[in-house]
Amino acid sequence: MKPPVFASWLLVALAGERLAEVIAGDLEEEFALRDPRGASGWYLSQVLRSSIPLLSIRTPQTALVALLAVAMPVLLLDRLWSFIYSQIPLKDGLNRAPEFLIVNLILVCLCAALSRSKPWATFGAAALALWVSVGHAPLLYSILVLTLAPASAWMSR
Amino acid sequence: MAKGDSLGEFEHLVMLAVLRLGDDAYGMRVRQEIESRTGRDVSIGAVYATLERLEEKGLVASSMSEPTPERGGRAKRSFRLTGEGAAAVNRARQELASMTEGLAFP
Repeated sequence: MKPPVFASWLLVALAGERLAEVIAGDLEEEFALRDPRGASGWYLSQVLRSSIPLLSIRTPQTALVALLAVAMPVLLLDRLWSFIYSQIPLKDGLNRAPEFLIVNLILVCLCAALSRSKPWATFGAAALALWVSVGHAPLLYSILVLTLAPASAWMSR
Repeated sequence: MAKGDSLGEFEHLVMLAVLRLGDDAYGMRVRQEIESRTGRDVSIGAVYATLERLEEKGLVASSMSEPTPERGGRAKRSFRLTGEGAAAVNRARQELASMTEGLAFP
């Protein structure tokens, strides 16, 4: 008797090939010793109950922290600017207010420092947020966010 | 001692299981050991997530064995406590003994 194919497939998807190989070996060893009537259900329940812990291994905590602490503020501030922009009539040629960008930059650096996440994760999160930003941030602002946010995270560690 | 140095409750159980099992300490055996001794229904994923974290902290070390037919031709990953891990378990035991000393339990 073989373990359920769906569960084996799900295990690889959750744990990645390297770890799934070891876990599948462990599960198969115990699967063979179990009562065949309940073995498939047991195998599937083990895989399903393992999903959150296994995903937590594959998603480094530092990346999650950086995403929440750095990418979220950048995106929220960008959305705020888009909203303000949408409320201004006759806005042809209107650029983002420099004061607004400076406040953004300070807030992002502060959040990066408070998150104490790794500089590479901070850089990645900031780059992702700038890339996703609908309002297309000015070049100088983008460069400053990409350099000062990781530097703030690095100095706070 | 830094805040991150202390062991969580489940980390402590996993390390004690690894210590008990000796050369036979691998994911499924650790899971079974905790289940049989504490009555907790533990998932294999929770055990591996904890073992990975402990390995990152330098408290356990792992090694791969040769693939075996009863595992569907897959290799086994065995774990053992490092010197730092043994010291952490001892420290946790002493802290617990000190905190429970003289207490009257209901």
